[in-house]
Amino acid sequence: MKTSIIYESIKLNDNTYIIKFQDNENIGPGQFIMVWVPGINEIPLSFSGLGDLKEITIKIYGKASEHIAHLKKGDTIFFRGPYGKPFENVAGKKLLIGAGTGIAPLVPLINKNAYGVLSGKTGEDIIFQDRFEKKSIVTDDGSYGKKGYAVDALKDIDLSEFDMIYACGPEIMLKSVMDYIININGKAQFSLERPMKCGIGICDSCSINGYQVCTDGPVFSLNQLMEMPEFGNTRLSYSGKRIKI
Amino acid sequence: MNIEVDIGIKISNPFMLASGILDENGYTIKKILESGAGAAVTKSIGMEERRGYEPPVIYENDPVFINAIGLSNPGIENFFEEIKIALMGKKPVIGSIFGKDAEEFSYIARKMEQYGASAVELNLSCPHVNGYGMEVGSDPNLVNEIVNEVKSKINIPVYSKLSPNTSDIIEEAKAAEKSDALVLINTIKAMAIDIKAKKPVLSNIYGGMSGKAIKPVGIRYVYEIKKEMNKKIIGVGGIENINDAIEYIMAGASAVQIGTAIYKYGKNIFNKLNNDLISYMTANHIDNINELTGVALK
Repeated sequence: MKTSIIYESIKLNDNTYIIKFQDNENIGPGQFIMVWVPGINEIPLSFSGLGDLKEITIKIYGKASEHIAHLKKGDTIFFRGPYGKPFENVAGKKLLIGAGTGIAPLVPLINKNAYGVLSGKTGEDIIFQDRFEKKSIVTDDGSYGKKGYAVDALKDIDLSEFDMIYACGPEIMLKSVMDYIININGKAQFSLERPMKCGIGICDSCSINGYQVCTDGPVFSLNQLMEMPEFGNTRLSYSGKRIKI
Repeated sequence: MNIEVDIGIKISNPFMLASGILDENGYTIKKILESGAGAAVTKSIGMEERRGYEPPVIYENDPVFINAIGLSNPGIENFFEEIKIALMGKKPVIGSIFGKDAEEFSYIARKMEQYGASAVELNLSCPHVNGYGMEVGSDPNLVNEIVNEVKSKINIPVYSKLSPNTSDIIEEAKAAEKSDALVLINTIKAMAIDIKAKKPVLSNIYGGMSGKAIKPVGIRYVYEIKKEMNKKIIGVGGIENINDAIEYIMAGASAVQIGTAIYKYGKNIFNKLNNDLISYMTANHIDNINELTGVALK
């Protein structure tokens, strides 16, 4: 298990925090680490910042995430990794689509050629909007930006002009994005999240059609996803029971 | 040249997927079978859906791995679809099962047979769940009762996976004598403490150790049991390459199972083992892989 000392902690909103720590490892956008809270749990987290100072954005949804979110300067963070395959970062025009904290792993891809689509249930879920020069914001309840889902925001954008489309968020959202863009622009990479246990490709918990999200993913190309009937359809629960997405 | 082996069923090569690794989702099993495995053993399935333990469920420090997944499984009634998908891989799927007594084991075994499994593997050896696995397996009378009961209820072969965490594995093996084959060995009960956190790493504290480091222990048990009993043996524990597999076969194994090594070499390890086996047999003028089983005992 690796350790690092927390350099800084920033509160983004009521339940979302950024924590920064020193780590010299060369990590790609979209890769993740398994962060361990001794005695509590271990959860996968991806990076929203990838310099010598690594940055993780975390939303509180359980005991482990709460503990990690509340780490303060000088505290120790325990982790293993990095794991998984990163996004391929292209030079041209990029469309970055993130739902809620799903935008976090896309942040390292932001440059002047990037257009952001940020979606959330409410305005509270919208983060990192200041990092984008050009963007669309949508919320389910219309409390911030336009009312609607990520896919609704895409309808106002000329998708054919992008050299690569990147998306991260709940699988159901990714599926709707895929179904929409598929006949317009197939150059896309999606980052998936499924219940993860080992992080090293052997427990089969996060698998999708024979691929392990933790080692073969989490980033998959649109072409790969098109050949996965499980995508947006079914997955295994934590116990291994097949359930509807 | 023949690399087909007979373990109560015929499998096209001696390399099987071990239980507990990449064998919960039917699509993954199918892919493993398409990647060259001769057969695949499923994750251990019990009567009821079981969540298993919270992470961390694995400690990785190659060549040592310790896991405590906690027999997480969907329950036998929910496993039909996964077997159905796995069988699209067109090779034998072996159902690993666990229970607390002979009645549970035989119920689940019958279901596995109905679902299309080619054989069942009795998990008498999981080292990290109270009331199951090793706790059942370390009682020879109970093992005897379970094996006899399951054998009498199904028409497909029955394998017993035994535990190295016992004072007398011969006694355990003899109790399981009616099995069509013995599977040796399950993981070795172990634990790891993170000295910076000053705490055990695994949420369950104890887990089962696998990986290259346990191979000599597995070899010893296969050899020792083969010497004692004329029983088919499936060797498992720390196999990463063809030399490891040949060593198990020479110790007395008719087939071998691969698990943890997939972490390092990916699913394609099965294709590689097949190719390397052919090369080995060619170089050593061996026509039939079965000639090699147990040669170290002669």
